[in-house]
Amino acid sequence: MALACHLQKFFRRNGIALSVFLLGAVGFWILFMIVLPQLFMVDFSFRANVPPPKWGTPEHHYTLEHYRYMVYGSAGSESSFNVIDLQVFFKTIMAAVFVTIFDAALCYPIAYYLAQVAHGGWARLMVLSLIVPFWVNEILRAFAFRIIFGASGVLNKGLMALGIIDEPYDFIRENFALYAGLGYAFILLMVFPIYNAIESLDKNQIEAARDLGSPWWRIHWRVVIPFAKPGITSGCTMVFMLTAGALAAPQILGGPSSLWFTQIIYQAFNQAGNWSRGSAYAIILLASCIALVLLLMKAFKVRLGEIAR
Amino acid sequence: MMAALRDAVVRGGLLTRIGLALFVACFFVYLFGPLALMGITAFNSSAFPRVSPWECFSAEWFAVLRNDQALVEGLRNSVLIGIGVVALAVPIGLAGALMLMQINRRVRPWYYTVVISPILVPGVVLGISTLVFWDRIGIMFNAGHETFFYNGFFLTIIGQATFISAYSMLVFISRLQRFDPALEEAALDLGATQVQTFRKVLLPFLKPAIASAAVLAFLASFENYNTTVFTIVSESTLTTVLAGKVRYGINPSISALAVIIVAVTLLGAAVFEVVKRREQKAAREAEKVARGEVQTRARRKPLLLEPAMFLILAVFVAGLGTVYFAGTVGVEECKAAVKEEKRRVAQERVRKLQQQRMFQRAAPVAGEGEAAPAAPKAQREDSSGFGSIFAPQNLKEQVESGPPAAGTESFQGIFAPENLESQSGAGQ
Repeated sequence: MALACHLQKFFRRNGIALSVFLLGAVGFWILFMIVLPQLFMVDFSFRANVPPPKWGTPEHHYTLEHYRYMVYGSAGSESSFNVIDLQVFFKTIMAAVFVTIFDAALCYPIAYYLAQVAHGGWARLMVLSLIVPFWVNEILRAFAFRIIFGASGVLNKGLMALGIIDEPYDFIRENFALYAGLGYAFILLMVFPIYNAIESLDKNQIEAARDLGSPWWRIHWRVVIPFAKPGITSGCTMVFMLTAGALAAPQILGGPSSLWFTQIIYQAFNQAGNWSRGSAYAIILLASCIALVLLLMKAFKVRLGEIAR
Repeated sequence: MMAALRDAVVRGGLLTRIGLALFVACFFVYLFGPLALMGITAFNSSAFPRVSPWECFSAEWFAVLRNDQALVEGLRNSVLIGIGVVALAVPIGLAGALMLMQINRRVRPWYYTVVISPILVPGVVLGISTLVFWDRIGIMFNAGHETFFYNGFFLTIIGQATFISAYSMLVFISRLQRFDPALEEAALDLGATQVQTFRKVLLPFLKPAIASAAVLAFLASFENYNTTVFTIVSESTLTTVLAGKVRYGINPSISALAVIIVAVTLLGAAVFEVVKRREQKAAREAEKVARGEVQTRARRKPLLLEPAMFLILAVFVAGLGTVYFAGTVGVEECKAAVKEEKRRVAQERVRKLQQQRMFQRAAPVAGEGEAAPAAPKAQREDSSGFGSIFAPQNLKEQVESGPPAAGTESFQGIFAPENLESQSGAGQ
């Protein structure tokens, strides 16, 4: 009843043509691009893995085997847990957390500088030059890190010329290249939310704190950071989700023996041909990332409404 | 006295200011260093992308790039998909933003969470869900594999538009927040239909937002990899071709592509800045006219006659010319010289090895340590840490360093210490 009333009001306000466009476009987006695909993926992840011609037949029944596989591995294996996948999973989450912390620490001073210290044309130029590297696509950026960190790369050559090391150090195997590349990949998404938050801070508050004798670190700790908390949280959320879900950088920069969880999903789809397991793993990744973000937001007392703007 | 000075420095924040400035400088080095180094490798004639050893300044990799069929086809597909995404995502984003303005207060947070969620969901998940969903739908309709349900272009456009629509919605929201609803009401009061109001009032107001949403959507689509790699099925885009290339065997033509992209980006940024300044200037002038300070507005020059535009164009052409001439004139001579130099070094090595062999024949035990360095070094250069067995320079280097390799071969098995190491390592 209420819905019909709302709809009537909506149609009266927008006219028929516009209403149909609005409802059609938003409806298509929400239903066919966002909600239904996710539900179908969830459904698919609970199905037995059978070749495509048998989909929809009784053999394509519901099962928990893919989730069980993630934890316990195949029935015939020696160890009681699926050590490989679990290890990769936790390593991915931990690494994503560290990359996020690194980015936050790196970007906070930059955002502060842009928002409060720099001004005029200089600030504009800096903002513009922040954006430029991010029009170069992710793969080329990762490639640049390969050039730097490779065995005959710039870093090894430089260190060897300086006499610090005398054998090339394998930065790729030790995942240095991967972490540097991942940290680099999403800097922009950390800088801008923090920048937006700090920019709206009244300069007088900082002045007042300084006049009252606060050292610079306490000004940040008690005035700027609490004010910028929503921005920091939203930056961290984005960087964490994107890092945990990154595929290009781990594929290109990962060491030969290390995997990122998305690579396991990719293998399930493209090499093993096991779409159901791939879907199940994708859901595990998505659900744990969301859970972790919500948990941390609770821990830091940030509400979802504050960051979603 | 000193204490007072120190106090002044600390309170004035001089030290923290210097520290901050240094930090900012380091940050920008981190931001641009990798791209700059990659750009340099695009001009090195060495077949492997590296800065040192520097061989010759050459533009040959740009030609290699142009002749790369797979890349050119990927580029074409990427542009087509980008256009499709713009056509789909911008109207959806617009509708989403208009809807947000009108929707019931209580439903709004839920609605917002749902439509903004694709930005946070990993691209991999979006790609998989799109693929699975349309596949199942295709089965439901009993559609054959040649129908659009299984078409890589269709799937990729839909998959990418899922989150790119949310980007463009954000652009529209920030513009709509400055829209005065009274304008719309006035138009309706004056007898315009809703469609007329939309077309004559709202759309002109949103024009800049539409332009920036379109640019953003195109670029986001153009550089997307995570979603595309699942939805593209049997087709290819620039990013999937690049990913394949970077993983298996690389040469500096990829750096050359990055140089082109950066150059185009810089050009775009510069032009954008000029246009923006022009608009600001025009707005200031209009204000002056409105206040009656100036009688008439100065006639606007065409964009191309703007001095700044001229400067940008000049810099661009000069850069292009420099690269062309420096990269094509005298490169062959330089390469010949480098080759000659390499040959000389190789011969030198052979000579030394021969000498060593003579010594070793005389006193085998004493020579053990000295013969070794040549062998691991040659090996390391070949592998270059990239494991790029397909990189053409491997072949070349092997051919060029043929004589020394032949010379070392007889020793490698016996004297090279790393063999001993690996053997003892295996023993443990």
